[in-house]
Amino acid sequence: MNENSKGIIDRLWGAFSSMKLGLTLLGIIAFVAGIGTVIPQEAMDQGKAQAVGGLWKTLGFTHLYSSLWFRLLLGLLCINLIVCSTKRLRSIYLRTFKLTPPSKLAQVPQKNKQVVKGELASLRESVQEFLRQKGFRVTLSDQSNPWSFIATKRRLGNWGSLITHLSFVVLVVGALLGSLLGFKGSFTEEAGKTLPIQAIQLSKGTVSETFSVSINSAEDRFLPNGERDNWYTDMSILENGQEVARDTLSVNHPFEYKGITFYQANFSNGARFTADMGGQKNPVVLQDQGQSYYKAPGTDLYLVANLSGSSSLKPSVLYQVYKGTGADPIQTGQLTSGQTIDVQGKYKLTFDSLAGFTGIQVKKDPGVAVIWLGCGLLLGGLLLAFYWQPLVISGILQSEKGKRGSLTVGVLSGKMPDSTRKALEQFVSSVTKMIS
Amino acid sequence: MLASLEVAMFYSLVVATTLCMLLYMIWLGSKNEFIGRLATFFTIIALIADTFAIILRMITSGHPPLSNGYEFLLTFVGGILAVYLFAEFRYKLRSLGAFVMPIPCLLLMFIIMSMGPEERIAQAVPPALKSQWLTFHVITAMFAYGAFAVSFGLGIMYLLKLSKEGNGEKLSQGIVSRFPSLEVLDELAYKVVGFAFPLLTLCIITGAIWANYAWGTYWSWDPKETWSLITWIIYAGYLHARLMYGWKGKRAAWMAVFGFAAVLFTFFGVNYFLPGLHSYAQ
Repeated sequence: MNENSKGIIDRLWGAFSSMKLGLTLLGIIAFVAGIGTVIPQEAMDQGKAQAVGGLWKTLGFTHLYSSLWFRLLLGLLCINLIVCSTKRLRSIYLRTFKLTPPSKLAQVPQKNKQVVKGELASLRESVQEFLRQKGFRVTLSDQSNPWSFIATKRRLGNWGSLITHLSFVVLVVGALLGSLLGFKGSFTEEAGKTLPIQAIQLSKGTVSETFSVSINSAEDRFLPNGERDNWYTDMSILENGQEVARDTLSVNHPFEYKGITFYQANFSNGARFTADMGGQKNPVVLQDQGQSYYKAPGTDLYLVANLSGSSSLKPSVLYQVYKGTGADPIQTGQLTSGQTIDVQGKYKLTFDSLAGFTGIQVKKDPGVAVIWLGCGLLLGGLLLAFYWQPLVISGILQSEKGKRGSLTVGVLSGKMPDSTRKALEQFVSSVTKMIS
Repeated sequence: MLASLEVAMFYSLVVATTLCMLLYMIWLGSKNEFIGRLATFFTIIALIADTFAIILRMITSGHPPLSNGYEFLLTFVGGILAVYLFAEFRYKLRSLGAFVMPIPCLLLMFIIMSMGPEERIAQAVPPALKSQWLTFHVITAMFAYGAFAVSFGLGIMYLLKLSKEGNGEKLSQGIVSRFPSLEVLDELAYKVVGFAFPLLTLCIITGAIWANYAWGTYWSWDPKETWSLITWIIYAGYLHARLMYGWKGKRAAWMAVFGFAAVLFTFFGVNYFLPGLHSYAQ
């Protein structure tokens, strides 16, 4: 039983330590991710995603990136990367910190090697001088016969690949943290209103915090040339009714409080009205483009507003009144600021002023810091791997006749054989020049 | 005045790019050194014209040239010209021009044929695009995509040379005799991809940082994001396969060509066929 389980573990370890598996998983992930850009996704276009065939929906193709099997693929890739990295750790450590000079000719890299002949003492000195000048880290053999050396430059580049691979695991952990411990939601509110954080519309997770958010002002600001500058929201955080933080946020300039970040996501205009029903005056605020409606109490009349053509200098509103579920409006018209109309004899409506509705996205994601750490590691690893490639030269000096000898020197070919060959040629020509 | 000058720079860019492409091709066949130098000269002129067109656009619009597809394409062309010129001078590889220059030339023809003047004018940028991170995002994309275009050219050269060798043709004559050895072409393509891959990674990361500031989501599986990830995976595959299976030479060259097809799809295909958060790039 024990041997069996050991065999299974070994087999699993063997399977997951395969780079072939990693590449296959990457290929599958790329292919599947590509499919997700063609099939409508619920997160992007719920309407179109609903129209997709039942089988695709059942298989999770309309919420592909959050489906269990897609996450399973990412998980398998993580395991593969961890196992591969663990397996390579020791050899990378040895290659970086424990390089040993060759003790016999066969240990000199065979693919890229050359021989230099000369006086033993002169060869030894020239080699050391050249390596010192070029900034190599040199390790010499303990014994003098045969004398040998191994020299390395940019040795930390050995870690580039490992760091890059592990950074992917860090990124997945960061995403997981955000998914399990965070929440995401939004709210649209006009200036002067306060709402508890728990009242926001959530799309993911739950809110445990209890503070309130007060919108002091919301502004759609324009530049002198008529271009939109940005949307600005002056916002306060209230704890037990007391303001504890305040900031003005705009797109690309979020505001953070206790790990919860508020993003300026959008902005919509609206209009303030007063509805007068037999002397009882009710304030009414409607969003542009019929995004909200007003149903007068005791009637089946629905009022919506449209602000196209309105400006801050000349505020005006197009209104439409619908009856019940009727598709066509029974009353329409335009109102300028301060103008009053009668709505089907039921109430009087006065257009007071324009209003701004700020759209704020709210997010708590404890994984973001981990994500940035993963990004940093990914980039650092790649820079080490591609811009800081290690170079290892080793050689062995064998005496021939009397004071003369031959130095066999080789360079580890690495990823770029042509460049390493040039490095070897430079070494040989410099040493030859120095001894002559 | 500045707008007219920018238009003049754009057409100078078109003329210089077309001329240098033709001259590189003639040079490859004629081996006339003067024509070769003239080709390089026009490539430098094209890069200068592109740079001035971008600078003039920045002055007239008051923001980085990132508000529409025309501006993105100008930066893409600039990236290809810059990386190509670097490769030509650094590796003394003029023959590469005949295979890389058709790409910026086709991109410019695409602008002329598919974008009317109203699509080329500077447009107001929405609040989401007002971020320094976007500038870094596009600059890294420009050089990464430029380098991938160069690796594509090297891949084509490799495949051409290999096919001639396979046919047993005399390599001391003909166009391919001007190409470096297969080993040098292969390694150069690897070096260029090795240069571009971290840049593509940085492009994706700066995009994620910007998205997090703008939309509160560092990754939303938007089609553009997803296809940039697919492109990244293809090049990651190229780098791994080379190490693991020794996929050097022919297979690596095909992967460089295939990878650039993914780059083009990420740049064009997604903008025109798969709308998402990046739809403003159309």
